[in-house]
Amino acid sequence: MKFMKFAAVAATSIALLAGSANADDKPVVGLIMKSLANEFFQNMLEGAKEHEIKRGDYELRAVGMQNETDFESQINAVENFITQGVDAIVIAPADSRAMVRPLKRAMEAGIVVVNFDVSLDADAKKQQGIDLAFVGPDNRGGAKLAGDALGELLGAGGKVVIIEGNPGADNANERRLGFEDSVKQFGLELLDSRTAHWETEEANTVFSNILTAHPDTQGVMVANDSMAIGVVKALESAGRKDIVVVGFDNIPAVGPMIKDGRMLATVDQFGQAMAANSIDLALGVIAGGPKLEGWVKTPIELVKGN
Amino acid sequence: MAEQSDVLAEPTGRDFSIRSIINNAGIGLALLGLILFFSIFTEHFLNPNNITNILTQITINLILAVGMTFVILVGGIDLSVGSVMAFAAVVAGKAITLPGFGPTEVILLACIAAVTAGFVCGLLNGLITSYWALPSFIITLGMLNIARGAALHVSDAQTIYSFPFAFEEFGSAQIYGVPVVFLVALALVLLAWFVLNRTVFGRLLYGIGNNEEAVRLAGHPVFWYKVAAFTICGLTAGIAAVVYMARLNIASPIAGIGFELNAIAAVIIGGTSLSGGRGSVIGTLLGAFIIGVLANGLILIGLSDFMRQMITGVVIIIAVILDYYRARYAKK
Repeated sequence: MKFMKFAAVAATSIALLAGSANADDKPVVGLIMKSLANEFFQNMLEGAKEHEIKRGDYELRAVGMQNETDFESQINAVENFITQGVDAIVIAPADSRAMVRPLKRAMEAGIVVVNFDVSLDADAKKQQGIDLAFVGPDNRGGAKLAGDALGELLGAGGKVVIIEGNPGADNANERRLGFEDSVKQFGLELLDSRTAHWETEEANTVFSNILTAHPDTQGVMVANDSMAIGVVKALESAGRKDIVVVGFDNIPAVGPMIKDGRMLATVDQFGQAMAANSIDLALGVIAGGPKLEGWVKTPIELVKGN
Repeated sequence: MAEQSDVLAEPTGRDFSIRSIINNAGIGLALLGLILFFSIFTEHFLNPNNITNILTQITINLILAVGMTFVILVGGIDLSVGSVMAFAAVVAGKAITLPGFGPTEVILLACIAAVTAGFVCGLLNGLITSYWALPSFIITLGMLNIARGAALHVSDAQTIYSFPFAFEEFGSAQIYGVPVVFLVALALVLLAWFVLNRTVFGRLLYGIGNNEEAVRLAGHPVFWYKVAAFTICGLTAGIAAVVYMARLNIASPIAGIGFELNAIAAVIIGGTSLSGGRGSVIGTLLGAFIIGVLANGLILIGLSDFMRQMITGVVIIIAVILDYYRARYAKK
């Protein structure tokens, strides 16, 4: 018994020593992502892990969530990181308003916070009296790139449909707005705009039904590639080769579709590099660099077939 | 109580089928009403292409709901079918993209893989629920997480794609405008109807739902009958996975989120009692049609997404209230 107790105490103190040694040694970066069930964040995590090995001058602690809207787990993760005394928190917020207050606490604890992927709400930030830069792609601008590709092809009066992401999600909203910008700029006619909750099967069903109601549809703007696959399948089973589809995300599964022309274009926002880039920025601030300001835009690119 | 001993005493169930016709007539009328409504108020509803669409769109839910009917009839519930479907799809997706097989072999392999995965999950649900006499609600909630996690693990959260062409063919094949995948679902409905109404096994499932103790005292192995009901449900999730893959030519680990609730809704709208022992798979067929027709028609009519969701919810509640009155009527 005595020995066990001694062992336990020894183990604890070693752990404590190791913990503090670590803190002096390498900076610790806490990475908080959204759902790891989402390919996009899974790839991002892989990118961050590779980045940790490549740089070798920091320690990465990564957490993901159960699903896209699980902001309660994110709040817990922020609190855990504050307790652990990490040097930086790099976060893709699940909710642009709910996450502001816990992140304020982290900043007050002297932790460098970098907000990437989805921007925190400007009003909520103002209300809490914090100033926090955003590192991420311009979802609206990206969607407009895809929308413009479609608009150029169809010309004024082209009849289009938008398939939206989850209602209420910020990136879904931004992409819808970007598509709507293209609709306005090219004088397209928007026949219908509906959500398929980012999901292939639902997009297939929803778009089949829209196509029935609007057989004169000429183009479809889809807020992510998973849904675009469902739309392409719906077109194939309806035997419609004349309708043009654009997507977003450039996931591997749409590669063949872009190549053989079943899809006109998609948008790559280089998700794999996004977390890694944000970590670089955070480490720069920790090393005494200037504070990040405003919107640090990450690259986006239109991907088209030949 | 008299009704319960009837079910046990008369496995051929002559009395039952008359009542079931009356029950189903109500749901059938509701469906006809919906069809009439959408035919009048939308331009394209009765368009042959649209009918084909509706049949394709209800297929997966119908297959899942057939299995769900068995579980609900014995007084259980299976919350895991959506996740199990995704797991089965991912396992089959891995199999189908294996190098070194011909297209026919690979499709066969995928089907076997999906159905086996579904079978195993269903069997586990049944064994655990029955052996410890635990609420299936909790056990299948556990399986919901296990299967989803397994699907993500096996696939590394990546969508699996590029299947053989012959597999795609099956997904989009039609006979006189009727999708082949729907015929598969219909065959399952008929098979389930036969098993539930014309076999001792099926009649005893009703008996277990009504009065488990009585069936046990009559010397029947209730344990294995319940295991069988859950296993059948898992099997249908495996079959649904094959249809999902054939239709969309991908296997996504996040497929089927919330499908269990749609399947349960189809069963309940179809007049099967959540407390077990009463209902029919024909009702389930009609229930799946009502959900599918609503989803399709409300888009054609141009109703917003949010209104659509609200109306679907209202229909489910109305169906359960009707079920309450039906149960009271049946007791008199």
